[in-house]
Amino acid sequence: MKTLLIKTLSIIALLASAALHAQDAPLRVGMSGQYFPFTFVEQDELKGFEVDVMNALGEEMGREIQYQTANFSGLFGMLESGRIDTVANQITITEERQKAYIFSEPYVYDGAQVVTREGNTEVEGVEDLKGKTVAVNLGSNFEALLRELPYADEINIKTYESNLERDTALGRVDAFVMDRVSASQIIKDKPLPLELAGPTFSQITNAYPFRDTETGRALRDELNQALTSLRDNGTLASISEKWFGTDITQP
Amino acid sequence: MDVLNVEYMLGLVPVLLGYLPLTLQLAGVGMVLALILACLFAVVRVLGIPVLNQLTIVFISFFRGTPLLVQLFLFYYGLPQLVSALTVIDGVTATIMGLTMHFSAYMAESIRAAILGVDRSQTEAALSIGMTNSQLMRRIVLPQATRVALPTLMNYFIDMIKATSLAFTLGVTELMGATQKEAAGSFLYFEAFIVAAVMYWIVVEMLSKLQHYLEIRLNKAYSR
Repeated sequence: MKTLLIKTLSIIALLASAALHAQDAPLRVGMSGQYFPFTFVEQDELKGFEVDVMNALGEEMGREIQYQTANFSGLFGMLESGRIDTVANQITITEERQKAYIFSEPYVYDGAQVVTREGNTEVEGVEDLKGKTVAVNLGSNFEALLRELPYADEINIKTYESNLERDTALGRVDAFVMDRVSASQIIKDKPLPLELAGPTFSQITNAYPFRDTETGRALRDELNQALTSLRDNGTLASISEKWFGTDITQP
Repeated sequence: MDVLNVEYMLGLVPVLLGYLPLTLQLAGVGMVLALILACLFAVVRVLGIPVLNQLTIVFISFFRGTPLLVQLFLFYYGLPQLVSALTVIDGVTATIMGLTMHFSAYMAESIRAAILGVDRSQTEAALSIGMTNSQLMRRIVLPQATRVALPTLMNYFIDMIKATSLAFTLGVTELMGATQKEAAGSFLYFEAFIVAAVMYWIVVEMLSKLQHYLEIRLNKAYSR
């Protein structure tokens, strides 16, 4: 009789928690939809590594994921003004961003990579950028990385909202700097005459930023838990293999 | 790569067409609201109503003197920072607010010019038979001014349709935002943006036809 009661109670509790879980507000995730192969659109369908990882996280957390696309320059404004809960757009953890936001555990480990037009022998690594025009995405972390170089004054940095790989291929700029993974992907998949120039020059870790508020911290902790499960059960690695042919989710 | 990927372009047409209604909605609602606001401003300015006149001058000065994109950022990201409840302003609303205020400032001046263009003797005649200011405006001046203002107002409407392409910065996926994302997925920028450009062009061309028709109608009283 007693065990029956306990069983009944625990089933009720389980159902209740499941019901509560289902009632959890959807996680609102911002992304640019313009960062191949992390987030992009094909025939009206939002796709990419970020989308796959976020969907898996949502499933793990029992939350629906609501995607909100906007130009990159608008994403942090949306986060700041509470219109989204986090940004899934390869956001690199930096000191400055850490002052304003709290971050989840990193889910991508990568490095900054110089990319030039195919056959460019003048730029064969980051040390050759002296006196050159280099494109970076507006608001991305790569501009700060370039400015940290000892010869930063001699680099002409040009910021782009989008299409910087195209301008590099056209020869309008000498090189662009992007993360190695997506640079390799662009070169592999797209018909643009580009090549990697030298090794990566700075390790970066990417994570999800949240507002530093009570709800923000709670969401961050919840997501961290889901992230650990996905890492342990191999889901993260397999999503990475699918998109990049290599596991970028490990250091 | 060297040749235009026509197949891709054709495949993109139905996708992008799906976002055209939102573009038209942003511009259409923006235009109606901007027209109402602009008429009020113009009347206030012409009649020189104290206090309102000065406020209108400041409003026009600000919204004509700052870029639309700055205004959109102010409405969408700035206001919620001051008053957190204003987060309820979504991207579509903020875009319409921005378009309305920005273009009403321009249109107010063009309507004011049209009102001033109505011969002074018409005003004197109306006042001499005892019309009030409001009657004078509604029955005599505005109908005549409309005909003069129409071409420039259509100009602003056309400009407004194209200005909606800024909305993706506020997370509103309209025609331009959809095109940007599709282009990012295919890397076929030229093809994608050509499709978008032709869509904008066709819409504007249809408006030009409408303008022509309206001009003929409004000119009926003047043709002999």
